[in-house]
Amino acid sequence: MPKVVSIHSYRGGTGKSNFTANLSTTVALLGNRVGVVDTDVPSPGIHNLFCLEPEQMGKTLNNYLWGEIPIEEAAYDVSANVGVEGPGKLFLIPSSVKADDIAKILKDGYDVKLLNDGFRSFVKALQLDYLFIDTHPGLSKETFLSIAISHVLILILRPDKQDYQGTAITVDVARQLKVRKMLLAINKVHSKLNLDALKQKVEETYNEKVAGVFPLSEDVVQLASEGVFCVKYPDHPISQEFRKVAQQIIEG
Amino acid sequence: MSNLGDLQSLASSITAVTSPFRNYLSDQYEKYRSLDEGVVADYIPELALAKPEWFGICIVTTDGQVFEVGDCNQLFTIQSISKAFVFGLALEDHGREYVNSKVSVEPTGEAFNSIVLDEKTNRPYNPMVNAGAIATADLVKGKNSTERLKRLLEMFKRYTGRDHEINVPVFLSEKETGYRNKAMAYLMLNFGMVSDKVDETLDLYFQQCSILVNAKDLAMLSATLANGGINPVTKVRAIDEKYVQDVISVMFTCGMYDASGEWAYRVGIPAKSGVGGGITAVVPSKLGIGTFSPPLDAKGNSVRGIKVCEDLSQDFGLHLFNFAKPERDLQEWITGGDNLNDW
Repeated sequence: MPKVVSIHSYRGGTGKSNFTANLSTTVALLGNRVGVVDTDVPSPGIHNLFCLEPEQMGKTLNNYLWGEIPIEEAAYDVSANVGVEGPGKLFLIPSSVKADDIAKILKDGYDVKLLNDGFRSFVKALQLDYLFIDTHPGLSKETFLSIAISHVLILILRPDKQDYQGTAITVDVARQLKVRKMLLAINKVHSKLNLDALKQKVEETYNEKVAGVFPLSEDVVQLASEGVFCVKYPDHPISQEFRKVAQQIIEG
Repeated sequence: MSNLGDLQSLASSITAVTSPFRNYLSDQYEKYRSLDEGVVADYIPELALAKPEWFGICIVTTDGQVFEVGDCNQLFTIQSISKAFVFGLALEDHGREYVNSKVSVEPTGEAFNSIVLDEKTNRPYNPMVNAGAIATADLVKGKNSTERLKRLLEMFKRYTGRDHEINVPVFLSEKETGYRNKAMAYLMLNFGMVSDKVDETLDLYFQQCSILVNAKDLAMLSATLANGGINPVTKVRAIDEKYVQDVISVMFTCGMYDASGEWAYRVGIPAKSGVGGGITAVVPSKLGIGTFSPPLDAKGNSVRGIKVCEDLSQDFGLHLFNFAKPERDLQEWITGGDNLNDW
């Protein structure tokens, strides 16, 4: 049975898209067929990490939500772009980066039921083992939907008061939506902090498991979203941490 | 507290979208949308305008959860489905004994527009054939035609939770071309089975058939019956609970035109269909089903609607007399058990 993983954070700038790209690629490198949907319709971006340029994008998630195409027509095989070889495959459904398209969908909205049906069609059409959903920060109808639909919800937070508070709100919502499994990931942790102590504190605060702790890394910043970090630097501690998180998703 | 309420209500609307049960319905939609059988009713030009690809499935549970797939907001005329509910209104207006003295409850096995009356009593056979429905409409109380129509529309509002309008072109076409119905009404007048306000009653009958509804309304209509006469979402009582059984049992024996016996045997869910393409089906104490798809089979029932009801009955064991353990547990699929593979 395919597994749906939603990656969410209450506030922007937590490194959500970067995290989604690295985690989904790690799972694909283990030989799985993986799909990623960029539901961040107001501010799409994850296509950059998968080296899919706007000029290469024909149809997008927007076209599907407007009822113009079946969702699989907006799926791009990005396996080669990021260096996934062998049985594993990586597909991306991007959101449109055209200002007109973004404006249209913000103005007219869309039927959230379509998104649910689209996820299922995408999984079926491409026989996916895993579906990763990259979301817009904060709470909205589509984040509610992606939380409710997921088998695993990953909440990303930085060690920062604004993130702590926002995550508490999201955890409440996720429980209300009866999410099946929730994992926390702490990102951009300052090198002076004690990682184990931080992990323990966060787990106690939310009473949920921390799947991984990621130090703030100049190496990641240097890559500047041009490609997937864990493919370029497979032995880097950050890549190892992603494999740890991937394992928890695959097992549980 | 209101915040918690809002969060809960938003969460429940979202989980209705992602629930395995809705995914099941979505698969049903995909399974039958390409089914290219049946013909759209065209005995009046307005009905022939319906698009054959329109297809909506809606289910409302007796605890008020709504599951919608496809064209659930597309309006169409209720047609014969109205007959079951107007029968309920007539019962409330006059009581069982009097209504039964005017209309029998015996299935005919004849087509819906047959001109047959019981030879001994001169009663039309049941409230679901046109003759019986006209005799039933005659019983709707009100001091004039406007008030009678208003009472009828208010009744539908109690069931569905929203205001309803009449499709005037359909009403006028039915009125202009309904010679057969007029003939039946006058035949019944001849036998003293209807009052002498025949033309007013015929208008009311043509109007009730021209009420605009959508698949969600049909699910609300049947969910209200399934819930003992109280709309499960608005909590408004639509019909006196003592007459709910009358309406459901007539739907069971006569609701699917002259396919009713076969339907009761194979599907086992009391239902009423209309030539507009709608079917409403009642699973008592559980849920109401509303389907909409205009292409009809030879007996006048929606082809895709029949398929969906058959599958629902089979897969979830919804046949009234089923005792075998079904393949799928309804409650588990609605609440979303962890072990379900709905992907």
